Amino acid sequence: MHELGLSRSIAAIVEEHAQGRAIKRVRVAIGPLACVERRALDFCWDLVTAQSPLSGAVLEFVEADGDIFLVKDFEFKEAA
Amino acid sequence: MCGTCGCSDPNNDVTLTDPKTGESRVLRSGGILQEQSPHDHEHAHSGGHDHGNHHHAHEGDNRPHVHGVNGEVISLEAAVLSKNDAIAARNRGWFEGRGVLALNLVSSPGAGKTTLLEHTIHKFPGDGRIAVIEGDQMTANDAERVRAAGAQAVQINTGAGCHLEADMIAEGVKALDLESGAILMIENVGNLVCPAMFDLGEQMKIAVISVTEGEDKPLKYPHMFRASGCVVINKMDIAEAVEFDEAQCRENILSVNPDAQILAVSSKTGQGMDAWFDFLNRQVEGLMG
Repeated sequence: MHELGLSRSIAAIVEEHAQGRAIKRVRVAIGPLACVERRALDFCWDLVTAQSPLSGAVLEFVEADGDIFLVKDFEFKEAA
Repeated sequence: MCGTCGCSDPNNDVTLTDPKTGESRVLRSGGILQEQSPHDHEHAHSGGHDHGNHHHAHEGDNRPHVHGVNGEVISLEAAVLSKNDAIAARNRGWFEGRGVLALNLVSSPGAGKTTLLEHTIHKFPGDGRIAVIEGDQMTANDAERVRAAGAQAVQINTGAGCHLEADMIAEGVKALDLESGAILMIENVGNLVCPAMFDLGEQMKIAVISVTEGEDKPLKYPHMFRASGCVVINKMDIAEAVEFDEAQCRENILSVNPDAQILAVSSKTGQGMDAWFDFLNRQVEGLMG
């Protein structure tokens, strides 16, 4: 139900730290008890990041324990 | 899902209504996650991570580091819900410092949360001890009901939102006059999924389930029942008519949450409500130390 809001939250956290630089990928750690549906999150991610500085950034998932739900890290695109 | 149900549609505002005056104001215009200003947390701009408010052990190196072939990797380990959690922690401190018991009532729609509150407001000893924050997508009907029953109340309308968040509670309590020993009942949006995830700063979540919902509800929605300290089985007056198996329901609740306290009541007839009042009194005493 709430994956759109969660995607916005992830995008806001990354944008705050990226300071306008292009992003290649973002890794999110999700535990089995976090109540987060990955496919829904991925679907919403594309909607949220379209036409934003994060456009084209890939969302990747990392296994975690319990109810962990973290933005683990992100990777800048290499400067052309 | 949000893309189809419209949850967090940016055209929907979150509003707070005082049923006494009928005044309504907008808490958030637009979607679920409006950028909050001013910032409620600090940043050290040295890279790295600086959010001290997530509650999980780190998994691995949390310093920024650079990888060879690809671009630079910035490690964050930032909790996705860190903003909500930070505001919830502030709410919790405010409640504890003031000696207010805050309970977050969750259930599916129609389980009888509002009727349970009405009965509690009528019969629970101590005048004006109970205040209510009502959460619904639309209408101030529930706030008007509990206000008519004699409690202070504010209504929060989440628009398309499927749950209450901590900042809405922070605004809601400003509109209430809460004294030491008060019980703040937060009636969440009827939904057994999303509210499990959002800490409001309450001392405890109370799940309400009615006998018409079936004994296996706790198995179908385990996250919510696991997150709740107490489960109230409501509408016991019609249990027989709907062939509700109370023992089975209790067993199911305990299988997902062995520590849950379980109360079987009818807020319509008053059956079992004394045990509910005892439970509330114990929680207040526990809070006061």
